[in-house]
Amino acid sequence: MKHLILLMLCLPLALGATAQDVYASRNVSLSFFSKAPMEDIDAKTTQCVSAINIKTGAVYFKVAVNTFQFKKSLMQEHFNENYLETHKFPNAEFKGKLLDLPDLTKPGTYTVTVEGTLDMHGVKKTYREKGTLTVAVGSIAVSSTFKVRVADHNIKIPRLVVKNIAEVVDVTVSGKYAPAK
Amino acid sequence: MSFVKILFAACLLPAACYAQDDLSGMFKDSAKRSLPVIATFKSTRIINGQSNETLGKNELDFRVGHRFGDMAGSNGGAKTFFGMDNSTDIRIAFEYGVSDNLTVGIGRSKGSGNLSQLYEGLVKYRLLQQTTDNRIPLAITLFGNAVVSAMESAEEEASPAYFGKFSDRMSYTAQAVLARQFGHAFSLAVLPTYVHRNRVGYADMNGMFALGVGGRLRFTNRLALVVDYFVPFRDQASKDFAKTQGMEYYNSLGVGLEIETGGHVFHVNFTNSTATLENQFIPETTSTWTNGQFRWGFNISRRFDLDRKHKH
Repeated sequence: MKHLILLMLCLPLALGATAQDVYASRNVSLSFFSKAPMEDIDAKTTQCVSAINIKTGAVYFKVAVNTFQFKKSLMQEHFNENYLETHKFPNAEFKGKLLDLPDLTKPGTYTVTVEGTLDMHGVKKTYREKGTLTVAVGSIAVSSTFKVRVADHNIKIPRLVVKNIAEVVDVTVSGKYAPAK
Repeated sequence: MSFVKILFAACLLPAACYAQDDLSGMFKDSAKRSLPVIATFKSTRIINGQSNETLGKNELDFRVGHRFGDMAGSNGGAKTFFGMDNSTDIRIAFEYGVSDNLTVGIGRSKGSGNLSQLYEGLVKYRLLQQTTDNRIPLAITLFGNAVVSAMESAEEEASPAYFGKFSDRMSYTAQAVLARQFGHAFSLAVLPTYVHRNRVGYADMNGMFALGVGGRLRFTNRLALVVDYFVPFRDQASKDFAKTQGMEYYNSLGVGLEIETGGHVFHVNFTNSTATLENQFIPETTSTWTNGQFRWGFNISRRFDLDRKHKH
């Protein structure tokens, strides 16, 4: 009986303690910008899901590629149909780890380096990028900007429109995470 | 001893779940999202017929349709360079997206049938868009046009081109496009249609129902096979009378190759119908594939985004 009570006490304790290690968000903003001689292309989604384990430093991002909104509907169609082929590769996913993990239980702003694999358009590539984590009580704000070379992910730009699409695209991530329930 | 073990394990179990570096399990449900199906067809036309697609808001579509003469038969062959010396119909049109769901357009067609020199006004409205989760399994778009002929009236009153009053120059189409994308490579459309011509020849029909079917099969991201076929429901008396005049009506069949180059959509097609407008190719197709009375033609669509706010 004594053991059982101990067990009952211990279970929620264990759950509570560990759950606070994981911060998550279901509406991380993701945008990209491509500057090319003919026209600039920018698109945004706020439907990226992400989680960070502040104890282990594990980082995860996932986005349904067809949620990206473009200002020009034809561009959005070409992006999904011809370039990212979202019918074949519906999601882009990043799994990584924070290197030199700071103590993220303490409020403050930390510049971190994340290393991991971006799986996009069926091609996995390792990235090592800088980001900023702003820890407050009960939330963590995450932001990062990095470059993706479209050719690295086997996204082919026909010679005909090569002036319309940049070879390197700037990607911006920003989101506010709360402790995962 | 065993209790301690259980206690230990129980404490570790949830920790173990979270301690895993794979956090993807937290979002297993995030993929089940309802999104509109895009690009059921690549263009607002299949070949002759309409597709369910409308233009985006503030988009302008400049369209040119061209049908050459008979490839073979008595009017084709080498002497007309397989029909290329002739053109049965030419259409030039501007269509504009008032909103993502509403397209309006104006066009000028040479016309090939009873009337020529045709000015067309069209409206297309997207009622329903198919969704990826099949919550809406079918796309429904409504199409309507009004066409006026600017040609000179015929002399003899029996002619369908005799205009006693202005309204004799008018004809109309009302159509629903029911379309669905199956998988990613194949799209199918069914088009119940009503065509009304104010002025027709003796024993011809002013109002006529028709049913169209159209399909698109993708080979690659930029290349597809497109087909459309229209069956007009012409009554027997009308068919019989036409035969006494040495004329026969046929169903319109178009087969084409669709090439998309990013902004341009280019069709190379073969059809037995000579006209480009619903008001004519549905009720007035009198040429047939079997007599070599088919022609090659092309549709060119160039879309422009007119919204200045989009420029940087």
